[in-house]
Amino acid sequence: MANLSIRSLGKTYPGGVSAVRDVDIKIQDGEFIVLVGPSGCGKSTILRMIAGLETITTGDLDIDGRRVNDLEPGDRDIAMVFQNYALYPHMTVRANMEYGLKNEGLPKDEIAERIAEASRTLRLSDYLDRKPRQLSGGQRQRVAMGRAIVRKPKVFLFDEPLSNLDAKLRTQLRAELKALHARLNGTFIYVTHDQVEAMSLADRIVIMSEGKIEQIGTPMDLYLRPATRFVAEFIGTPAMNFIDATVGSDGHSLQIGEQMIAADAPIHAPAGTLVSVGVRPEHLHRGQDHAMHVKLKTGFVEQLGADTIVHGEASTNGTASPLGVRLQGVHMPEPGSELQLGAALSDLHFFDTASGQRLNT
Amino acid sequence: MVENRPFLTVLTHAALIIGVLFLCFPVWMALVASTHSADALSSSPIPMWFGDQGWQNYSLLISRGLPEAGGVPLGRMMLNSAIMALGITFGKIAISIISAYAVVYFKFPFRMVFFWMIFITLMLPVEVRILPTFDVVTKMGLLNSYAGLIVPLIASATATLLFRQFFLTIPDELVEAARIDRAGPLRFFWDILLPLSRTNIAALFIILFIFGWNQYLWPLLVTTDEGLYTIVMGIQRMVNSGESLPVWHLIMGTAVLAMIPPVLVVIAMQKLFVKGLVESEK
Amino acid sequence: MQKRVVYRSKLLPYLLVAPQIAITLIFFFWPSYQALESSFYVEDAFGFSRNWVGMQNYAELFADPGYLRSFRTTLIFSVSVAALTMSISLGLAVAANRVIRAATAYRTLLIWPYAVAPALAGVIWYFLMNPSLGIVAYWLKALGVNWNHYVNGDQALLLVIVAAAWKQISYNFLFFLAGLQSIPKSLIEAAAIDRASPARRFWTIVFPLLTPTTFFLLVINLVYAFFDTFALIHATTEGGPVDATSILVYRVYSTGFVGQDYGSSAAQSVVLMALVVGMTFIQFRYIERKVNY
Repeated sequence: MANLSIRSLGKTYPGGVSAVRDVDIKIQDGEFIVLVGPSGCGKSTILRMIAGLETITTGDLDIDGRRVNDLEPGDRDIAMVFQNYALYPHMTVRANMEYGLKNEGLPKDEIAERIAEASRTLRLSDYLDRKPRQLSGGQRQRVAMGRAIVRKPKVFLFDEPLSNLDAKLRTQLRAELKALHARLNGTFIYVTHDQVEAMSLADRIVIMSEGKIEQIGTPMDLYLRPATRFVAEFIGTPAMNFIDATVGSDGHSLQIGEQMIAADAPIHAPAGTLVSVGVRPEHLHRGQDHAMHVKLKTGFVEQLGADTIVHGEASTNGTASPLGVRLQGVHMPEPGSELQLGAALSDLHFFDTASGQRLNT
Repeated sequence: MVENRPFLTVLTHAALIIGVLFLCFPVWMALVASTHSADALSSSPIPMWFGDQGWQNYSLLISRGLPEAGGVPLGRMMLNSAIMALGITFGKIAISIISAYAVVYFKFPFRMVFFWMIFITLMLPVEVRILPTFDVVTKMGLLNSYAGLIVPLIASATATLLFRQFFLTIPDELVEAARIDRAGPLRFFWDILLPLSRTNIAALFIILFIFGWNQYLWPLLVTTDEGLYTIVMGIQRMVNSGESLPVWHLIMGTAVLAMIPPVLVVIAMQKLFVKGLVESEK
Repeated sequence: MQKRVVYRSKLLPYLLVAPQIAITLIFFFWPSYQALESSFYVEDAFGFSRNWVGMQNYAELFADPGYLRSFRTTLIFSVSVAALTMSISLGLAVAANRVIRAATAYRTLLIWPYAVAPALAGVIWYFLMNPSLGIVAYWLKALGVNWNHYVNGDQALLLVIVAAAWKQISYNFLFFLAGLQSIPKSLIEAAAIDRASPARRFWTIVFPLLTPTTFFLLVINLVYAFFDTFALIHATTEGGPVDATSILVYRVYSTGFVGQDYGSSAAQSVVLMALVVGMTFIQFRYIERKVNY
């Protein structure tokens, strides 16, 4: 078990393409960290730099206080689970798990003991003599995890390990993975593009965009206080709504169309600044008595049983912008009809439209 | 096919049967001729069914050979052919799998230069540069040796390209997993790449064995010692033997013996053979 | 072209390519360079002295009617071999692709001649066509054809064409069959629904889709006829009668080894190399453009 320190890490490919810039993360022993972001944001590159599969262009990477920038992957005391599992196709499940241990030169009985233990944990004991192609996707994924566990590494790395599985299996394995983390109490670093996966697994999430970190925090930090408009949009489904506004002349209020909203704290921007006001679909409620109100012209309606999601256009400030609302229970608004909605002041997020930075504290 | 037309089906079978006859007939005649005595073949038309001299003809050929062709027993020639064919096959596979491995899995200065140097040999068949190659072999003192028969023929782009093609289809994650499992380059090659290449090696083996066995010009040039004759080039001595008339029953027997090993390989390992052939030309 | 992750090792990759590169240098590049060099020299018969003559060997070559005739012979020979082989094997492949019953048996019976060495194919056909006792010559005589390839140059050329084509059918058959099998069945079915007759379907759908295979085989067959048939000719007609079957590659050999004229033989080698490089180049240009796709 170990802690990791990543300091001003950067990756530039030959040819000048910069994939990762100035990344700083401190990871505590036993933490479950999820790197999340859209494809091409650099999250996999960071994972691969930690693994030693990509060279580090700038910055430092320490595992347990030792700089490992120039160590071979095999010498970093890490294990990795790949998206396509990367099991050796010609070897049995047992041989797949043994391979790294044999290369390490561990004694035979030690190897056998570790494999027995891991295969009990992962319910693989009956499959040890099968070849990977005789296993289902979920079983292969468990073998890949088994291969990581038996090595007893300082850090476990996961590169989108569940994305090749169907939805139901994914949910099931998510739970198993979380249980595994609790049991091993290891340091997990996990890459995914799926925000639900990130929210449900992580102790802390590192959310990235275009090679840079947007925010690091617990899932609830990110949900309740997204630091940038990007984070606000990325976390949560359906995505957060945005309505255009400007900072009022007193520096304490926002002008949305005709509406004036008094903020409960100073807004850190000069008067007249363009602001995007974000509000999550689940934080909009019917009725008139809210700090901010908005009319929704009903369009497409998703009846999900427990919830009803109504998509449409907001008509507050003259210009029409898309708006969605999640209403509890069953509702059947007429297409084209208008819904009167509102939200509490504490559920509003203000972002500088130009920079995307959060304005309210 | 899409619809059922009895007439077309009959036509199809007829075409195939004619094709099979056209391909098999010459060899049938060779087989038949090899079982007759010289006398039986002296007047036209020659018999089209087997005679009773097969045993004598073949045992004479295998144990003693033809005086007109230097009197080397064919058993000896077939042994030479086998040594040459297997030498070429193993040599080619060995040197091309490691060079393909280097080109695909390593980054090093002049990598592409090496690749193109190998690739360009595709374009220069040995027939085109017979004389100077012969000179080189002479200067190296390789005339009349197995090494002279084998070594110049083991460089080939085809096998290298095939392995390269195959390596490129192996997922990158496999080598990454191996590196995390502390497998260095040689261990990865031996433990993972080589076992995964088994089918390709087998398929290539068939193609290269046939290639090696059927070599003609090269053994003709580098061997003057009759003890090193291979059977495919040896037959030439019998056909064009100068003054005496060709002994067709024995020549056909030699032809049959010379084609048995490669033909057997093709028939016995048809699937692998087809795979090897089709893939080595991609 | 290469893996995303590569091993970092200074010496190992060089050791791995070394055997192949060494053999390539010694037995390919060095001789090719030698051929190029000696094509500019005239050497005496014993190899004691040689004189720089510039392009004289080439000039003499292209002024030699025998060499020009050899070009013509090679052209007739290779085009005939390619045409004969490809038409027969395409027909057989189409038929084999249709049958369901006995498909494997047919395939086996059609592919084994691939394993027969060109020299042996030549010798066997030489025997079948032998004017005095060959069975085919006998049948031809019954049809009123007086067959004697020892005397008649055209007949000798025909003999080597047939033998060379016979040996190459299996190879072409396999590739045409693979090409046919890779055509999606739904395409043929769609054409059938569009009321195209089987013959029309072949010429408008199947044949165009086979163009890449056809082109590939054309190049392969030409290269085969240019070079691999050396053995076939050497073991049978030996270029005769009177040079009637003396194709270019055979001439390189006879000029050099029999005629001992190294300069001229080297010049012929260089011309042939240029031809192969040209053919390969055309092939790659075409394949890049993916004929018909």
